Amino acid sequence: MAYVATRGGERAIEQSERLFREEMGSFDRYRVEEVKKSLPYLIDRVMGEASLYDEDLAALALAQTGGELYEAVLLLRAWRTSQPRLQVAAPIEQDTLFTHRRISAAFKDIPGGQVLGPTLDYAHRILATDVLQGETYAPDPVEPAADPSPAYQPSVSAWQADNDLLDPPAEDLTKGNDIPDLTREPLLFPSKRAHTLQSLARAETGGVLALGYAAMRGYGQAHPTVNELRLAEADIAVIHPDGRQFSAGRVKVSQAEVVDKKGEKLGIGYAATFGWNEVKCIAAATLDLNSPGAEKGSATEEEFFLYHTEGVESSGFCIHFKLPHYVTFQSSLDAMRDAKAKKGAGASKQQEPAE
Amino acid sequence: MSLSTLTKPWEAMSYGFLDGSAKRELRRKMLKSVAVPGCQMPYASREVPMARGWGTGGLQVSLTLVNPQTRVKVIDQGADDSVNAASIRRFIARVAGTHTTMDTLEADLIQSRHRIPEEILREDQVLVLQVPNPEPLRPVQPNMSIARQMHADADYGRMWLQLYEQIVRSGRVMQGASYPSLVNGRHVMTPSPIPRWDVPKLHMAKHLTILSAGREKRIFAVPPFTRVEPLVFSDVPYKVEGHGHLTCTRSGTTGFFMNEIPQDDGSSAFEVSDSEWGVKTIRAHDGEGESRGETWYKDGEMPQ
Repeated sequence: MAYVATRGGERAIEQSERLFREEMGSFDRYRVEEVKKSLPYLIDRVMGEASLYDEDLAALALAQTGGELYEAVLLLRAWRTSQPRLQVAAPIEQDTLFTHRRISAAFKDIPGGQVLGPTLDYAHRILATDVLQGETYAPDPVEPAADPSPAYQPSVSAWQADNDLLDPPAEDLTKGNDIPDLTREPLLFPSKRAHTLQSLARAETGGVLALGYAAMRGYGQAHPTVNELRLAEADIAVIHPDGRQFSAGRVKVSQAEVVDKKGEKLGIGYAATFGWNEVKCIAAATLDLNSPGAEKGSATEEEFFLYHTEGVESSGFCIHFKLPHYVTFQSSLDAMRDAKAKKGAGASKQQEPAE
Repeated sequence: MSLSTLTKPWEAMSYGFLDGSAKRELRRKMLKSVAVPGCQMPYASREVPMARGWGTGGLQVSLTLVNPQTRVKVIDQGADDSVNAASIRRFIARVAGTHTTMDTLEADLIQSRHRIPEEILREDQVLVLQVPNPEPLRPVQPNMSIARQMHADADYGRMWLQLYEQIVRSGRVMQGASYPSLVNGRHVMTPSPIPRWDVPKLHMAKHLTILSAGREKRIFAVPPFTRVEPLVFSDVPYKVEGHGHLTCTRSGTTGFFMNEIPQDDGSSAFEVSDSEWGVKTIRAHDGEGESRGETWYKDGEMPQ
């Protein structure tokens, strides 16, 4: 009998992908446009985790994967890494952020005022089931304030530093291509400050939340007070090859400062990310606040939380367990059976060593 | 001279997917890992269009090493037709225009997950092993920074202790695959989750083996003619899986690593894990000519 090798592998994987895509059907740029328009916060989250600011590409990734978030982020990361690094934008100072929302839990009022901006924080979470009955969901129009809040404000921590309540981090004068880039170098520990902040910026929201929440519940040493939470737009300034600086547009960013008393001063934790993602920033800043001096192997130790909140790596490894492992399994079975046989044969004559 | 003579036409993707800077970094790190056998070298490990944990480390090495003349073989669990092997093979061919082959002897580059082929590899061949966890010390020290320090100090006491405890508790070393091995008398490495059967094939081998963990961003190598010695006590010899006497029910070949296939009647059947070896054996039996090369194991035993 002739041996017929199973050569069905290629056909099977081709068909399984077709089956997955069949549900979404064909789509064009109008669907991408619709995704972008209707799901801005999802787009923000995906752009943050992909560390790629492009709403169209993010919407395309979501449309192409049917909203499988990890797949969408991986698509964008794989695209991003193949693009050349043309320019490093000028550093952005906090007081140059065009601010939409800026709140502090540390003070009743802050210079510049508490600016609520867009939020669902005080919405009553009632599902608009009427829509399913054919009603149109029409939000009430915004009534502009007589005095618009100032768009540019320094951070609350700047005021605290002026009042000797905290020591601001030393100014980092590293410029341009000398700034360590996590996407071009491995993450090693103790981590470079730039790598830590970049890693948190592109961390998976759920992962950061889980570990940040663990720290908040008491598995961390520091209890966060939200010093400042800000949603803003940042101007991206780059240098033209002829030497002139020009604007490459604005990107949505969010950032959080959380503080806790450390002796006579405040300790500060910080995180920022592309897009508006408050939960991620607060949780990430909490991890940052807790990380100095954290015990090795604890959830608030830098190595622990940076490794385990990397969404592309963690999700990929998790689903890799679907791959066949029968060689390793066979190897373990062999050791188990042999040990069992040894025990059976030697049980009568051999004494068990002390354990 | 015009601008077009100085530049190349725009292309959506670099040759072999990875851009020049990624390949340069990988080449540097490969050279370093060859220079210090068994020592894990960190590398950036770019995202590739495949999920982490699915061979992205091996893939980056393969994409860096291939050229349009390279003949590439990809196996998973010893089989060329495994779905992920098929996917990786198709991807390499698609982005690098390489030839593909299933014949171990014909391949210039073999990317593999969990197996080393049964036929002896030559000086001109490169074996790329996919590595899920590059750190042999992980079971005794999950913190990578501390483990790195332990390697620097050649501090393998806890590793030995773990093996000793297994012998005391179970009467034998219980390590299945990924058997920790000392490379060039200095660094303990994991040979990746290949079975114990395959580890002796690395010892003083003629070919270069590159082991790459994409998710964990570590690369290490076993250069040709380098000692690879499984960690064993002098009075408890190294023991490979007891497959030397098993016969493949499909091809009739005996003396190689087998897959156990549970049967309805409660028994087990076996088929040879190196699928192409099985195919070649059947072809030889069917009178289609002998295409089998020399194997590491002879009559189910590894010659000393």
